[in-house]
Amino acid sequence: MPERSTLGWVLVGVRHAVTVPALVLFASYVGYGALLQGVGFPPWASVLSTFLIWALPAQVILVGGLVSQVPLPALALAIGLSSIRFLPMTMSLAPYMRSQRGRLLVDLLCAHYVAMTMWLEGMRLLPPLPAHARIPYMLGLGNFYIASAMSGTIVGYLLASELPPVLAGALLFMTPLSFTIMMVRNAANPTDWLALAAGVLIMPLALGLGGGLDLMIAGVGGGTLAYVGGRLMKRRQEAGR
Amino acid sequence: MSSGLGLTEGGAILIVLLVGFLPTEIWRSLAILAGRRIPEGSAVFHWVRAVATALLAAVVARLVLAPSGVLVDVPLVLRLAAVGGGLATFLLTRQSILLGVLAGELIIVASLFFTRH
Repeated sequence: MPERSTLGWVLVGVRHAVTVPALVLFASYVGYGALLQGVGFPPWASVLSTFLIWALPAQVILVGGLVSQVPLPALALAIGLSSIRFLPMTMSLAPYMRSQRGRLLVDLLCAHYVAMTMWLEGMRLLPPLPAHARIPYMLGLGNFYIASAMSGTIVGYLLASELPPVLAGALLFMTPLSFTIMMVRNAANPTDWLALAAGVLIMPLALGLGGGLDLMIAGVGGGTLAYVGGRLMKRRQEAGR
Repeated sequence: MSSGLGLTEGGAILIVLLVGFLPTEIWRSLAILAGRRIPEGSAVFHWVRAVATALLAAVVARLVLAPSGVLVDVPLVLRLAAVGGGLATFLLTRQSILLGVLAGELIIVASLFFTRH
């Protein structure tokens, strides 16, 4: 890989972000922007919510909660529970976006960009890069993703208070559809496949529990099973050799 | 329909900060503080990665199994068919995400159209 300046790596990151996932983000957030306009959420706060929260499920919970007048502390708790996934996601991406001199503020700033798209693309794109290139590259990537989502929010907000139902459904379906495809593309080893299968299979069983507990069980339980399963398979493979 | 929430710009920004930003960002920040010494490739790292993968899969599964909005009207079989069709197209087209997403969207749009007419 050719030697580049810091700005050069930022631009490579931006260039690699101009892909279908960014388009999907834009489209998904068009639905979100339309939703906000429909309930009369102020415009600047709408765009800011995408920039600051940067987690579509949490944002949808926020708007839904405000509309049904859930008390704010309870709403904050619900949003916190729905966002626990950022803990393992950020922890597993952190080794690839760690500042060279261990500057905490830089690390915290980088962590803000972690969301589903950033995690899936980051886990794939960051490890092959030289260590000094990773932070500028991920900032280029992450800022382009957030910018796409913010543009989508604005367009949706300006477009209409209510999208035609078929279009609204199509935009809503973008998230599970594209993430399923990206997760399958990312799966590189038996542990990944086991984790995918465990998450998908345990989820329906835990669905009735609600309150974020279902995700915890599917995530921690399924992930642990996958980890143990992956190790056992590896050991058997090595023993058979 | 407009200003149904009766929020001013300032009040809404405050809500975004305290009720939206804080409860999400806390996990990202905690992960950095807690995970600073987890080296890439260690056992803990692989376990955390597996948990993150399973969690993401569960989040996505929940969006398909228990959807919101107009998708509630689409039967589960058709929602699963849309994800399956998108995935199959992705695999059959040398992993084109664009074609995979388009195929899945085509199925869901057709389903939405027919369940509403």
